Amino acid sequence: MSEVKHHEVVMIGAGPSALAAAVYTTRENIESVLIEKSVIGGLAAITDLVDNYPGFEKGISGLDLSQKLQAQAERFGAKIELDEVTAIEDGGDEKIVKTLEGEYRAKAVLIATGSDYKKINVPGEEEYYGKGVHYCATCDGAFYNDKKLVVVGGGNSAAQEALFLTRFASHIDILIRSDWKASDVLIEEIEKHGAITVHKGVATNEIVGENNQVTKVLGKDKSGQSLEFPTDGVFVFVGLYPNTKFLNSSNIELDDRGFIKTDANLMTTMPGVFASGDVRSGATMQIASAVGEGATAALKIRQYLEGR
Amino acid sequence: MSKQITVYTTNNCAYCVMVKKYLSSKGHQYDEVNVELNPDRRQEVMDISGARTVPVTVITDGRGQKQVAIGPNYGLIASALA
Repeated sequence: MSEVKHHEVVMIGAGPSALAAAVYTTRENIESVLIEKSVIGGLAAITDLVDNYPGFEKGISGLDLSQKLQAQAERFGAKIELDEVTAIEDGGDEKIVKTLEGEYRAKAVLIATGSDYKKINVPGEEEYYGKGVHYCATCDGAFYNDKKLVVVGGGNSAAQEALFLTRFASHIDILIRSDWKASDVLIEEIEKHGAITVHKGVATNEIVGENNQVTKVLGKDKSGQSLEFPTDGVFVFVGLYPNTKFLNSSNIELDDRGFIKTDANLMTTMPGVFASGDVRSGATMQIASAVGEGATAALKIRQYLEGR
Repeated sequence: MSKQITVYTTNNCAYCVMVKKYLSSKGHQYDEVNVELNPDRRQEVMDISGARTVPVTVITDGRGQKQVAIGPNYGLIASALA
């Protein structure tokens, strides 16, 4: 594809924030296209259970929630294209969004690219990626029926996904560098679960394997004592980093952790370019917040378009 | 010459849903092997991909040549089906 496509609004990403924004824009006949490089629904889509999104009294699977958001946005005319944005430039009246397959031009742009799971950057992590080191429990958990697993991390994602993995694994060791950051509800559920052992104050130092298979995780406790955790696989959930690498060549200002700075109207330092959800500096990393910010961004985009 | 497509999946894998949607949107038919429902076929996909992950998309041409895309690798899938 090499032709230039002109749109009213281009949204980069198709996670909950962009999908919510698209519901608002397209419902008011503001033509919008969403560009997604990986999975519609973003990180939410690969989350086993979303238990704190309002309106679902029994919780809802991340995949189901994503599909409902997508269906709602598409009902009003949102278009979703699978492509990867590589750069964004200020073309004055039109913003130029460059992708692997071509170029989009839009009167306004919403960046809602969300965040991704951080790596722990220890020996063995890259070598055994996909072969024993994983970042998606709902994708890869089924390969560990009756196996031992290690989960690294102490936040909500680590806790929720460890609980999901108990469907398959015979036992799970959770390694937390300091202390829990997960919600009390999840911690209580884990602590009463017979198949999970929690190790707080343990740093993960190396993932070891042989014959192309992970065999153990090496760690160290706070006193410096070395520890070994025999395992068949490792699932890592140690926090999030923003998907903003494609902005490196733009003049959109980021904070010191790489999240996008916005003003009170959710506009970035490039006029006509807005940001919402997990990728925005100050985001709370909650699906409900991302959806709320998406709705707000859509209303601010409408104001911006009307005032041009 | 038509190509045979097999997508290995699990029950709750959002990336698998995306790959299936991508193939359908391009008008391709495919066979799905859910390795969570068919645990006896887990080793098969591990042997093909060298990994314990899904989605794995296997595209076999008329001469039996296979191309394997691990994850939502739409670029590789598109070029294998071109």
